[in-house]
Amino acid sequence: MTLMLSVPLTLSNFSCYSPVCIDSSHFIMSLAAEAFVSQIAEDQILLSDCASSLAVQAYLRMCNLPVQVSYRPNAEYMSPSGKVPFVHVGNQVVSELGPIVQFTKAKGHSLSDGLDDVQRAEMKAYMELVNNMLLTAELYIQWCDDNTAAEISRPRYSSPYSWPLNHILAYQKQWEVRRKMTAVGWAGKNLEQVYEDVSQCCQALSQRLGTQPYFFNKQPTELDALVFGHLFTILTTRLTSDELSEKVKSYSNLLAFCRRIEQSYFEDSQAGSSSRGYSKGPSLF
Amino acid sequence: MGTVHARSLDPLPMRGPELGVHADDIETPDVEQETKQEVLENKDVIVQRVHIDGLGRTKEDYLTYEIADVFRAKNLIDVMKRAHKARQNLLRLGIFRQVEVVIDTSQGVDALPNGLDVTFEVTELRRMTGSYNTMVGNNEGSMVLGLKLPNVFGQAEKLTFQFSYGTKETSYGLSFFKPQPGHFERNFAVNLYKVTGQFPWSSLRETDRGVSTEFSFPLWKTNHTLKWEGVWRELGCLARTASFAVREESGHSLKSSLSHAMVIDTRNSTILPRRGALLKINQELAGYTGGDASFLKEDFEIQFNRRLFWDSVLSTSLWGGCLLPIGDKPTCIADRFYLGGPTSVRGFSMYSIGPQSEGDYLGGEMYWAGGVHLYTPLPFRPGKGGFGDLFRTHFFLNAGNLCNLNYGDGPQAHLRKLAECIRWSYGAGIVLRLGNIARLELNYCIPMGVQRGDRICDGVQFGAGIRFL
Repeated sequence: MTLMLSVPLTLSNFSCYSPVCIDSSHFIMSLAAEAFVSQIAEDQILLSDCASSLAVQAYLRMCNLPVQVSYRPNAEYMSPSGKVPFVHVGNQVVSELGPIVQFTKAKGHSLSDGLDDVQRAEMKAYMELVNNMLLTAELYIQWCDDNTAAEISRPRYSSPYSWPLNHILAYQKQWEVRRKMTAVGWAGKNLEQVYEDVSQCCQALSQRLGTQPYFFNKQPTELDALVFGHLFTILTTRLTSDELSEKVKSYSNLLAFCRRIEQSYFEDSQAGSSSRGYSKGPSLF
Repeated sequence: MGTVHARSLDPLPMRGPELGVHADDIETPDVEQETKQEVLENKDVIVQRVHIDGLGRTKEDYLTYEIADVFRAKNLIDVMKRAHKARQNLLRLGIFRQVEVVIDTSQGVDALPNGLDVTFEVTELRRMTGSYNTMVGNNEGSMVLGLKLPNVFGQAEKLTFQFSYGTKETSYGLSFFKPQPGHFERNFAVNLYKVTGQFPWSSLRETDRGVSTEFSFPLWKTNHTLKWEGVWRELGCLARTASFAVREESGHSLKSSLSHAMVIDTRNSTILPRRGALLKINQELAGYTGGDASFLKEDFEIQFNRRLFWDSVLSTSLWGGCLLPIGDKPTCIADRFYLGGPTSVRGFSMYSIGPQSEGDYLGGEMYWAGGVHLYTPLPFRPGKGGFGDLFRTHFFLNAGNLCNLNYGDGPQAHLRKLAECIRWSYGAGIVLRLGNIARLELNYCIPMGVQRGDRICDGVQFGAGIRFL
């Protein structure tokens, strides 16, 4: 992904989009950048999109960049890569966590500068693990588990559209995800195996975290943002069964980790309550 | 025998493009009167029988409506006139390749002395015709396959299918057309299509998949079309650099609309008319029958043509329209009006007038455009009576404006807004008529009244299109 870096940092506006429209007031902090994180509409957003959006929000908050979250029903189509969330800064649009991290880095905001090469490689490996395991598992549960797809995913995904477009688009999405599952070799798995994979992934994360506050000791990195985004969303989202969140709940240090990030980046008033685009109803504990 | 062949008439051109002199331009020659025997000429005659020879799958009773008039003829000239009319009616159905008329005295036991038999010798079109074209344009090449089944069920129904496979986009269209027996102009059509359009002036790509049904009928001197259309529209950005305003419009929407169009066209030709007038009114109500888009759209087009000295023609036209959103949802970029370009307000780039964001034109909810043209034959008239007649020189003055509605202001403010900052241009150029469906123009334009954000095309501008201001 190429980034155009023509916007002077001191004046740029950051916005991040996902699917629901919370219009928090436009905030310009001394730090200069305000991000609009765009997500999909709240009654439309699905577990996996919600997790990715939360990860980007957490990352931007960790960078101390002011964020304004805007929910749009068509966020998925507005995004240049077709995936949510994306950030809108000045006249630039960047989607997904990886490119957003690169983008902020080019603007002088980075969380992983303090790491050495080995740590950075390790961080990348764990991020890949989260994307390959947790994200794929979320997609699998949403679209390949017939119960969840019929009761949650399809109705939510199709909610902004009128008949018969709602059915067409939901089935098209389901078909697309199923094809992707076939491509990554998950099509043959059953739900139990997927839960087992999630459990293993959590175990790896839990072991790596140990008793540290963050994965790389005192300072959060993009890995922390990504893990938080996924685990927190899994823990706070109601699905047809609790099994997925139960798997995560058995790792107490991961729970504490989520709680810690929620407290330090989402609950304190560092960005002011008015710019809290993050509107998750339930919080942990 | 008193045989008259009316075959010397050229077959009428079927629907479709035809390069060259159009039938509208030729004064219809009278039926060739070439009676071999004087006997019948002034006598009253009775048309006893009308035969149609060469019918295969066409239902004969369907054709009786078209030829019934021949029986009413009272004398030979009348017979020929009516037979000629009937022949034109038959050709108009689009199911025969050619139709010949043979008029003969009646034979057989019940033959009256002044009885005539009229025979239409027809050749039906093939059951299925196909076509294959390649097209190049807009940085894209495409291959177009067409299939046509004229007269599918024997009553002049037509089934057409077109498939275009391009380097970037694939489109298709399937349509079924059925005229009412005896009233060919009263017809019904169902279409199913997928079209993809790229609009670089808005950095927008639009894919439409839709179904439409329409019913057309003449009423007094006007033609009306009632239509229902259901379209699934998918909008996307053409490039990463598209402005955010266009990006915000991306996504899927469903438009279900009822529309009505009325046309009065007394012009002698649609592309380079010499006389006559055109009035076209189009109205569309979307959202009433479902879908996401709700609006009322009104649109009109007026044109007057007047022949002046030395074969020159003065043509004036006026277009206008407005789009009213219903409910609190703003209008969609795909529904708004666009103005400018070599086919409307010349001297401006294609659809590059009015509201824009970062160089992407967003269209307007209200517009008007007017033009005065003086068409003259080419200087010194080279190629007169032949190829040269496809060309005209013209001098033009175009003007127009496009803006958005702001509901707080009221209608008078809107009119004021349309009246100020008018874009206009003048110039001269050469027009080439391509058949009776399109024309090419090469103009030298001088744009005036350019507003901030408009993109102009100062100097030579080339244009091709089917609808012209």
